Amino acid sequence: MKISKKWLQEFVFLPDSLSAEELGKELTLRTVEVEGVEDQAKNLNHIIVAQIKSIEKHPNADKLRVCQVDAGVEIVQIVCGGSNLEVGMKVVLAKIGATVLWHGQGDPIIMEKATLRGVDSYGMICTSDEVGLLAMFPKKDDHEVVDLTHLKDKAGTPLAKALHLDDVSIEVDNKSLSNRPDLWGHIGMAREVATIYHKKFTVATPPEIKAGSEMKLSVTVEDATLCPRYMAVALSGIHVEASPGWMQKRLEACGIRPINNIVDITNYVMLEIGQPCHAFDASKIAEQKIIVRRAKEAEKFVTLDQKEHTLTSDMLMIADGEKSLALAGIMGGLHSGINENTTSIVFESATFEAGSIRKTSTRLGLRTDSSARFEKSLDPVNALLALRRLVELTLQICKGSAVASPVVDLYPKKPGAKIIATSFEFLEGKIGMSLDHKKVVDILERLGFTIEKGKKGALKITVPSWRATKDISIAEDIVEEVIRIIGYENVPSTLPVFSITPPRQNSVKVLERKIKELLALESCFTETYNYSFESPEWLQKLGVDSSLHLELENPIAKDRPLIRRSLIPNLIENVESNLHRFDEIKMFETGRVYKIEEAGERVEAKDDGLLPRQDTYLGLVYAKKSETTPFFVLSKVIADVFARLHVAVEIIPAENESFAATPFVHPGRFAFLKVAGTIVGRMSELHPSTAKNLGISQRLAFGEINLNILSDHQLEEVSYSPLSVYPDVVRDIAIVLEKNVMHANLVAALRSVDPLIVSVELFDVYEGERLGENKKSMAYHITYRDTQKTLTTAEVDDVHKKVLDTLQKNFAAEIRK
Amino acid sequence: MQKELENLKKNFESQIKQITNFLALEDLEQKFFSRKSGAFTELMKGLKDLADDKRKEAGLLLNTLKAELENNLQHKKSELEMASMGDLARSESIDVTQPYLGETAKGHLNPNTIIQYQLEDLFASMGFMVWDGPELESDYYNFTALNIPPDHPARDMQDTFYVKGHSDWVMRTQTSSFQVRAMQKFGVPLKLIVPGRCFRNESTDPRHEHTFYQMEGLVVGEKITFADMKGVFQAVADHLYGVGTKIRLMPKLYPFVEPGVRGELSCFICQGKGCRVCKNSGWLEAMPGGMVHPNVLREGGIDPEKYQGFAFGFGLNRLSMLKYGIEDIRLFQSGDLRFLQQF
Repeated sequence: MKISKKWLQEFVFLPDSLSAEELGKELTLRTVEVEGVEDQAKNLNHIIVAQIKSIEKHPNADKLRVCQVDAGVEIVQIVCGGSNLEVGMKVVLAKIGATVLWHGQGDPIIMEKATLRGVDSYGMICTSDEVGLLAMFPKKDDHEVVDLTHLKDKAGTPLAKALHLDDVSIEVDNKSLSNRPDLWGHIGMAREVATIYHKKFTVATPPEIKAGSEMKLSVTVEDATLCPRYMAVALSGIHVEASPGWMQKRLEACGIRPINNIVDITNYVMLEIGQPCHAFDASKIAEQKIIVRRAKEAEKFVTLDQKEHTLTSDMLMIADGEKSLALAGIMGGLHSGINENTTSIVFESATFEAGSIRKTSTRLGLRTDSSARFEKSLDPVNALLALRRLVELTLQICKGSAVASPVVDLYPKKPGAKIIATSFEFLEGKIGMSLDHKKVVDILERLGFTIEKGKKGALKITVPSWRATKDISIAEDIVEEVIRIIGYENVPSTLPVFSITPPRQNSVKVLERKIKELLALESCFTETYNYSFESPEWLQKLGVDSSLHLELENPIAKDRPLIRRSLIPNLIENVESNLHRFDEIKMFETGRVYKIEEAGERVEAKDDGLLPRQDTYLGLVYAKKSETTPFFVLSKVIADVFARLHVAVEIIPAENESFAATPFVHPGRFAFLKVAGTIVGRMSELHPSTAKNLGISQRLAFGEINLNILSDHQLEEVSYSPLSVYPDVVRDIAIVLEKNVMHANLVAALRSVDPLIVSVELFDVYEGERLGENKKSMAYHITYRDTQKTLTTAEVDDVHKKVLDTLQKNFAAEIRK
Repeated sequence: MQKELENLKKNFESQIKQITNFLALEDLEQKFFSRKSGAFTELMKGLKDLADDKRKEAGLLLNTLKAELENNLQHKKSELEMASMGDLARSESIDVTQPYLGETAKGHLNPNTIIQYQLEDLFASMGFMVWDGPELESDYYNFTALNIPPDHPARDMQDTFYVKGHSDWVMRTQTSSFQVRAMQKFGVPLKLIVPGRCFRNESTDPRHEHTFYQMEGLVVGEKITFADMKGVFQAVADHLYGVGTKIRLMPKLYPFVEPGVRGELSCFICQGKGCRVCKNSGWLEAMPGGMVHPNVLREGGIDPEKYQGFAFGFGLNRLSMLKYGIEDIRLFQSGDLRFLQQF
């Protein structure tokens, strides 16, 4: 909303030295967010009123004219393509040095002397959008220049002076006004400014309306919930014409285009008091009977912007006995409005229920200055003030007009005064500082509150009607009123006082952070974030069944409506999108996955309904050009992380039945991660045919771990073993085995051969034709140690022989020599 | 014997002086101390021909001299070594600006995570719990419990993601959804932060994302004041952007706090003078908050007559964008390694 500084100054004394910027800043800090200020004259330097003295054809261009123009002190030559140039016409001349918008578009440019097709030009005769005055001078065609012939001002007069553009507009963010219905008019804003600056605030009350008897006017309100107050009065002797210049200027300063005297008056009152009003042509209301009723289901209605709407029965209409006249509080109908033939009118000033207005205007996609105000819960008292002001202005501006009917006021349920009981102690306890009690009372009284002081600092505060509709209802609201005017900058900064009990820890979050830091800082993986949403096309390419996926009702990215059940699909997408730039990709993500079939948190404390389970997972992906078994790289990373966590993990072959659920896994390279007998995660390589489908040419390994399950496992204590004083003996062996013999089983068997064996370490694996099909060669370092004495060769030989026997007997190993 | 020793010594000293390299020094050593034919060895051999008393005396002299000469020899060796090291500047010089050519690797945390953990550490040091709740949340905890009744504009379809087939489920629009859960779970006194992922049904552009991160803070106790909230905001500003960062607060409406404020930081890029980032205002919007609304305390089972507190919800992406000068919020979720590997 735009606020005019001049208009504010009608109600509160503000020195001219107070800049609009300063005013805007104070309002922002204490009341509402000001988005900017706009000085009307600021961009009109070197732009003047000038008169065309002669027009000649341009020798080299059909569409251009060469004009001699009286600029006051001199005659200047201007080349111009205006469509409406005439000798004697007064025009807007941008002289050299002026800033204009070329054809009303792009960045502002500074006028210089120019040569157009060989003819010199010393400035520009402007169209309205070139000087930012399109609202004041709408264009009929693109090349129409502004015609100022009606002005009495002499050639050479600065344009700002001629048009009286001496106001400053303050642009307020409408969102920040959503709880302040009183600030949607200048009077309310002026009260606020007067309070901030400690200035006197004066508003003249419009006189009571002297009823007429020429016309009968009757109103029936069928739904008093949606229309708590309805006021109307008829006036006759109306002559529709342009409104006076002062009124037009005010409207323009607030960004509203003047239309005619009657419409302008309703807009003026709306901007002044904040109460939207409507004027009907009285002759178009059948029998002067107004009925406020709900629309008929599927009723068609054409609003005055010539758009047809289909209504529903919960929308409120203003109608007569025959037809609908207006969408209550939003917009009038095309056929009931004021036109140049109107001679009698009915003014409506009413209060409509906020929620209903908001719903209707949202549903119809019809937001107006009127609906924006009604949906904030307006003060019914203002309906009366506004009607009086409408009549006062009409009688003043429209000569010959007279009140033609009694004043209708249907206001069945007047709300009682809203009273809040609180105390200085309460206010101080909330804010955390001691307050000057006199100042507190002064602030509240200036804002319109009535204060009754009780014993021991007790306060009985009556809320003014314009703040009582929604905005202020509890003592905490009073805290805000006081603190914002005192100024947040005057509140001290303190820190809360608490006992020093260490905070409870969330084991999943602790684990998540530990793992993230290990992966990034030790394993050199990069953390990525992906959306919680997935694309059905991508899942289809992966072969994932999405029947269990939850789905968004209203996805923003239409291609990603599914709510993820695993981190892997999006991570694979990350690999795909980075592969053309990087030879090696090591990425991870932690985040929630959502499983409808598992029970999560309660929907409400006292409700048995449960949300889906939303465990935190870790997902990892690894791919590298020319790496044929990325599985081993990833399993090493996982093993390293678990080692740091001091949790023993087993990587075991996955069971066959789990392939079906994840068809994109490599069936020969698929493992579960098991901790203390529980499966906490899984890892695999991408199925080569899936990879091909996705256009991924590299081998890719991925894994995921459920951190909620993992966090249930007690981390093992690290214990120290004394350093051995006796030397280790290391023997290497190489064996040829069937391919299906597993390393883990072999190690376990060897470790149990004899306590002297302290480590069995794989250092080479080889598969090849020479070994024969389904064979592999593995080589191990076996370390023997006795903590009590130096081992003799004989002792080691003895155990080593058992090792070889075990390998031969239990694993059918062929010992290579 | 005495004479012979003196000659030998003179001889040795004059020769060692001439020596300028290790090879010559080795030759000298051989000449005097070689087991087979060294001058010294010869003298030692001669000892056995002397009478007992003389032999003892001469042996002593001989050993003393040997130690002395060997010491000289050692000394000369060090001298030569030093001389040759002095030349290292030339002989072993490298281009120190050249990078290591072997494989190197570094891992990276998402810049949002970095800011999140910095703040978690700050708040943990002040005794706050770090917790999180459901991201797919009930309508009740996301709205109703927070004093946002069913017909409130904040619940409009255009702002909230709803879940198909479950009209009372939403993707949480704010980490505030954990406020009432926290009150019910932990009671008072309460001090916690909730960093986490939130969702709004918004078209994305460089300043807007439908998926973003917030850090909710909630403090409830008997005498928790607005001034305390201001103090905590100041602590965060100092921690993230340096001591001396100014904050200012102004009124703003949020249904679940009263009074509600938005907090701004003095622009740390231009020190408040005005620049592109702060749009020439000198201030950066970053910290919304307020005193917990009594209706919210009631929903959490806390008596608002006895307890009060404050809540805030920082936009983590925003703080991170300010800190690193990131101009496009969509980069956080882009999965683009060129972006992620800068942090």
